[in-house]
Amino acid sequence: MIERSKDVVEKELSFGPVHPALIEPFRIRLFVNDEIVEDCELTINIAHRGVERLLEGLPVERALLITERVCGICSNVHAWNSVRVVESGLSIKVPDRANYIRVLINEVQRIASHLIFFGHAFEVLGHETFSMRSFLLREVFMDLMAYVGGNRVMPSVPVIGGIRPRADLTESLKRVILERVDDFEKKYLEFVERVVADPLVMSRLAGVGLMSKDEAIKYHATGPTGRASGWDYDVRRMMYEYKPFDFNVIVLPEGDNKARVVQRALEVIESLKIIRQVVKNLPEGPIVNRDWVLGKMDFTTMYFETFRGELMHSYSLDSQGLIRGYKIRTPTPTNLAAMEKVCIGDHVTDAVLTIASCDPGLTCCNRVEGIESGKTRIMSEIEIVKKYGWRR
Amino acid sequence: MDPVFFIVGLTLSSIVATIIAVFYSLVLPGIERKIQARVQQRIGPPVMTPGWWAVLKFWYKGKAEPIAQMPLFYKSLIWLGIAVVLLLFLFSTPYWWVVLGWGSVLGIAGFLKLEEVLYVLMGSQSQSILTTPMPVNDLVKGAKVKGVLREFVEQHSAERALKMMAVGSLPLYIALLVPFVAARSGMISDVIRTQNPVYFNSSWLSLPLPSNPVILTVPGFLAAIVYFVGYLMLLNERPFNILKAKIDVIEGGVLEYASKLRAGYYLMRNLLLFALSSIFVTLFIGIPFDPFMPLCFALNMILSLVLPIAMAILVAFSPILTFRQIYPATVGLSALGVLALILSVSL
Repeated sequence: MIERSKDVVEKELSFGPVHPALIEPFRIRLFVNDEIVEDCELTINIAHRGVERLLEGLPVERALLITERVCGICSNVHAWNSVRVVESGLSIKVPDRANYIRVLINEVQRIASHLIFFGHAFEVLGHETFSMRSFLLREVFMDLMAYVGGNRVMPSVPVIGGIRPRADLTESLKRVILERVDDFEKKYLEFVERVVADPLVMSRLAGVGLMSKDEAIKYHATGPTGRASGWDYDVRRMMYEYKPFDFNVIVLPEGDNKARVVQRALEVIESLKIIRQVVKNLPEGPIVNRDWVLGKMDFTTMYFETFRGELMHSYSLDSQGLIRGYKIRTPTPTNLAAMEKVCIGDHVTDAVLTIASCDPGLTCCNRVEGIESGKTRIMSEIEIVKKYGWRR
Repeated sequence: MDPVFFIVGLTLSSIVATIIAVFYSLVLPGIERKIQARVQQRIGPPVMTPGWWAVLKFWYKGKAEPIAQMPLFYKSLIWLGIAVVLLLFLFSTPYWWVVLGWGSVLGIAGFLKLEEVLYVLMGSQSQSILTTPMPVNDLVKGAKVKGVLREFVEQHSAERALKMMAVGSLPLYIALLVPFVAARSGMISDVIRTQNPVYFNSSWLSLPLPSNPVILTVPGFLAAIVYFVGYLMLLNERPFNILKAKIDVIEGGVLEYASKLRAGYYLMRNLLLFALSSIFVTLFIGIPFDPFMPLCFALNMILSLVLPIAMAILVAFSPILTFRQIYPATVGLSALGVLALILSVSL
């Protein structure tokens, strides 16, 4: 017998997991009346990579190489937060100079991430020119990551107790960073002014995908997604690493797609402020503390403000310093859940934009797989391959 | 005119016009893409690639059967589309003006409507693997809403095509009327006679220039603007490409066309790009595409570049509009078209 919902829904439109608009595989099911979304269901867990399982039993220094590869956009965040766990759990002191450089590379990557967001959001909006301009502007920060860390995507700056010697800032590099940042700021402000002044773009963004502050808190929409709905919450305020820096947490009350774009646009300017402070006030001294011994560590959890929201890393070490029970929670699952609710009432085309406006990063959040006999359990990559084959 | 001479002339003019139109129309997308790329600070593809080489490449690709409810019908729509667009263009050339009386506003509007209907038919036929038939486990697990119609994105595109047919293309048809009202006739020949009287007495090597083109009048200029926006709507170009918005309905009804059929679709689309531009030059500037007057058709072709170039620039700066913006835009443009129509009575 056919079950029907209480509300009248004409039809279902489903996109993905293979779809040109989705840069990562997930599935959107929109239940629509004419063009208006009445309900939405998002299915993730298609890009499972078994990262947590891979980390099990590894020496913590080696684990760093893997955690950095959880995400290509926020690689430094994962590397840094996994280091922070062991530094907090074993009370390892980090030199100030190292903390400054960690903050620097993090803010550089935050700007690169927000510019990817603009690129993707404008692509979803159908505005190719703005999308291309965003990616063009991003190149500055990709270069800076390469100058500091030696790689455009995986700069591998943090190590336990500090940073790699390769990532220390020289005087000439400081000058280059300041010059590039000044040049970028001019071009970026022109770009943002053009976007905000474009009536066609604004007509697509303003008043669409509305999420109130209460809804943001209820669904735990973290990071820029929550802050664009008036929820004043940023983990950086609680991090001792960010204490020396003067920056504003951008909070906008509107809660629509425009606010989510503008919030990130303003956050880029705050990141530029932090970068300048790092370069100008960089303290002298060592960049790494080698005075520590790995040993048994109880479960320790650290939170971090990544570019998309709140990130959690948690693990323990056994007596040999091997990782046990690694858990990572990225901001995307809760942000996406919020978007599932928020896109209701939107035009179908706007709904896809609303979902994209929370900046989902799916390969970072897909780690748990396997439901057997109604019970969920974590499976290793090998188990999955054995059971389903390579082409599952 | 002697019927035999007329039929020979008609056949020859059709052959020449078709060859020139097909070859020339395949250059236009390259120009369009190049301009877009320059706006976006990119080099862009070589000029011949998006038109010529794309069509040739798809033509020689391995045969791929489309997934459709009625595959034969779905495949035939492309060839029907090419025929419709070609006839639309031919009826705007002088030898065809007298055939069946379709060299008139009714002939042009009729063929354009037929072309629009094709997208509805294509959308209702195409059934790509990318949507409903994809074997995903969430169907097994169950969903919030069960028992509702599971629609292919192409079907959704067909619904959008229907809306665009009913509302979106209205401004173009209103603008199309203005030169005819100014000429007080429904025939293209009379439109040319009003704007370019010397054309009918010119020799084959001369270049008859219009003495009073309608585009230089206030109603003509307003109508030209409306025509241009309607042109974007009919070509499904940004900002009015809702029926093939990549972010939801992907390519719409033409999604399943591959290899030769994809080449056919490009031919159809490029021919329409040129045909609508050429009709604009014929009706608003008064220079028809006469296959037996080389300078005349060359000028028509050069002026036909104006609309694709303007389109390329606008497309580079436009997002996709949803029906929330398309409806008010259509109402506003239709009002402007009606104003032009009223003013054209005084010409």
